[in-house]
Amino acid sequence: MEKLLESEGKVLRHDRTVRIIHWLIALSCFVLVFSGFGQMPVYKRYMITDLPGLTWTADYFITLKMHYVAAVILVFASFWHVVYHGIRRDNGLVPRKGDFGESVRIMKAIITGGQEPPSDKYLAEQRLAYVFMAGTIAVLILTGIIKTVKSMGFVLPEGLVFWSTQLHNLGAALIVFGIVAHLGAFIVPANLKLLGSMFHGKVDLEYVKHRHSIWYEKLKRRSR
Amino acid sequence: MDKISRRSFFRRTVAAGAAGAVIMAKGAASANGAAGQPMATVIDLTRCDGCANQNTPLCVAACQSKNRSRFPEPVKPIMDYWPRKGFEDWSDKKGLRDRLTPYNWLYVQKVTVDGKTVYAPRRCMHCDEPTCAYLCPFGVIAKNGDGSVVIDPDGCFGGAKCRDVCPWGVPMRQAGVGLYLKLAPKLGGGGVMYKCDMCHDLVKQGKNPACVTACPQGAMTFGDRSAMKQLAEARSKEIGGYVYGASENGGTSTFYVSPVSFAAIDRALKEQKVVDGKPGRSGMPLKVENKVDQLDGWATGVLLAPVAAVFAAGRAAYKSLASEKNAGDDSDKGGES
Repeated sequence: MEKLLESEGKVLRHDRTVRIIHWLIALSCFVLVFSGFGQMPVYKRYMITDLPGLTWTADYFITLKMHYVAAVILVFASFWHVVYHGIRRDNGLVPRKGDFGESVRIMKAIITGGQEPPSDKYLAEQRLAYVFMAGTIAVLILTGIIKTVKSMGFVLPEGLVFWSTQLHNLGAALIVFGIVAHLGAFIVPANLKLLGSMFHGKVDLEYVKHRHSIWYEKLKRRSR
Repeated sequence: MDKISRRSFFRRTVAAGAAGAVIMAKGAASANGAAGQPMATVIDLTRCDGCANQNTPLCVAACQSKNRSRFPEPVKPIMDYWPRKGFEDWSDKKGLRDRLTPYNWLYVQKVTVDGKTVYAPRRCMHCDEPTCAYLCPFGVIAKNGDGSVVIDPDGCFGGAKCRDVCPWGVPMRQAGVGLYLKLAPKLGGGGVMYKCDMCHDLVKQGKNPACVTACPQGAMTFGDRSAMKQLAEARSKEIGGYVYGASENGGTSTFYVSPVSFAAIDRALKEQKVVDGKPGRSGMPLKVENKVDQLDGWATGVLLAPVAAVFAAGRAAYKSLASEKNAGDDSDKGGES
């Protein structure tokens, strides 16, 4: 649970549950992207299989097994995320009216060195990015489940299989873009302050006061 | 009693239901490929003589004649499969009849086993659980209700994964044709994969595949899958022989019957270099396990993960809220996740 840790000069931004689910999703996505590209098939074509230690990537059944194992983790973690935070009504990442314009203002301020508008726990662009990532993962999970059902021997309509496959491939491209953009956000020095919280959960109190003043006021009210 | 896998049970149940519905709707008494009923071919190796008096076995000639209009016409010059050098081009070897190629979807192997000459017509087995169709990255290989496994040449990118996962290396690639030419021909794709489609169009009309019709020896029999399986088993019993294709890769729609064991045939095919381990010239390996089937446990895990997550997350959320309430935290459930 998020809370002010004033004696430490910190704020607990992400509790252990959130951090575990985040890393389960992140790591499973890395494995899914790697094993998924192995299924495309591109590793033999692009001679990845010739690299020392990577000969096994030519075996579609090894990469398929990896894909399934990682999919179990991703599906579990994603459903957990939705159900857990849905019940708790944790809605900080749900986009709000005006988020697009605010994102533009934040980016403009970052580029020009100007004053950013005050933010809640999440920046407006983080809320928008969340929708992109969550939507893409939802498409990947739904189409992946259809593909899994097909591979288990169930006879499905040809069109459903075809379009699920195309959407799954498109989703894979979008998630790679999303991951690159997500990691790319840490090029911005201000965002680096948030990086540690995905490991130990905490961010500096002064940083929160400065950049997430709306959230800070809420936390203060709650701690009274 | 024939061993039936869980996935075969699913498919047969669905297929039987669908076929039954079609037959009832049409009020027809016959149950054949036209009604989407699973069909199969029995290939009796005691009867096939490879059409010894012909330049080309008649089944092969019929296949050629039937499918010639569908053979690839590559656009040349063909680009290399960058960053690799080279590409797969069979267009100047259209006359090859001793192997499968994009221009030859059926060929007859000749091998001597224990002093007997055995002729074996070879083409796609039309697996019950086709690994090629399950794993096609573009979803363009269909397993039809009539048992045929068909590649859509308009959607195929020619990555050749289907060939790599086929236990018999059947689909063959031709570069310089297909969808990849319209996208990024240098970077991705490699052409189109070609193979026997069990004359799916003829079967839909209630006809036999061209090779079956053309066989002068009656070595090939085509019909309802369960009847063909029974026929193969009966014929095998009659000659004290063997059946190949009923259980390989989880079962197929092609049943070979032979008076000599398929282990001996497979060994002889290799020893006499009729097969060379390359795609398009497969042996008759025994104990071919379906490798996708072996991953069913993990696939089931994917389907069960949402259920497990809903229960676990529901319990965790309840505990978390209760704990906050007990701690006197009456905030606005304050979470922002």
